[in-house]
Amino acid sequence: MAGPLAPTRTPETMAEERGELDRPWVTIVWNDPVNLMNYVTFVLQELFGYDEPTATTLMLQVHHEGKAIVSSGPRERMEHDTSRLHAYGLWASYQRDS
Amino acid sequence: MKPFRARRGQVVARLDRAEAGVVGLLLDQLEQLLLADPEDSTGDPVITRLLPAGHRSDRALADDYRDLTEQTLREGKADDLATVRATLPADGGDVRLDADQAGAWLRTSNDLRLALGTRLDISEESEPPEEIVDDGDHQLAVYYWLTALQGSLVDALVAARAGRR
Repeated sequence: MAGPLAPTRTPETMAEERGELDRPWVTIVWNDPVNLMNYVTFVLQELFGYDEPTATTLMLQVHHEGKAIVSSGPRERMEHDTSRLHAYGLWASYQRDS
Repeated sequence: MKPFRARRGQVVARLDRAEAGVVGLLLDQLEQLLLADPEDSTGDPVITRLLPAGHRSDRALADDYRDLTEQTLREGKADDLATVRATLPADGGDVRLDADQAGAWLRTSNDLRLALGTRLDISEESEPPEEIVDDGDHQLAVYYWLTALQGSLVDALVAARAGRR
């Protein structure tokens, strides 16, 4: 297989690169003592179009576990989602999914 | 205060004169804080809470995020504040809001609660004051009054949304 046209990247390194690209970014909402539970549920429905049971489940996860992933996708979209949550005063940040 | 209710496509509440005065003062304080030179307000815990870091551990990403979004977030807050001021009856009376105006009230009342809650070091265990002895009790009472107002606004908007289906 060795020759000028042989791939310089092995299947392993290609898989690694692909893994890095595929691993999405996520937007996280963190618990805080001020935001009301009904407000958090309402905002998640408004911004992400979640139905009421889904938004309530996420809100309760934030409340009980301290945080919840509310969206995932490319970095630029997570930046945008984070800023939309910040406009509503939710305590949000984005990061690469761990 | 008569809490917010959904009524024919709008949400309506009634504030008495003193309550409208308190909201007006809080709006002035929030505006001053948002208009302050960012150099002077850096490190102020209220500003940190109102304009949080976008990324928690990567400084470069957090700086990128701030460059990208902070101006827009500040302008959005200023617009909301202007809408609330324009729809607040200065001498008390009905607050009658369409959907866009209600969104502005929702976000601004939340910012006021975040600002007060941060200053008062509110925790999940905090409770309304039993009696008002000093200024701290008074501010705590205002915080819980805003909580009731905002809670009723959320409930009214949920009811309005259900009514549209």
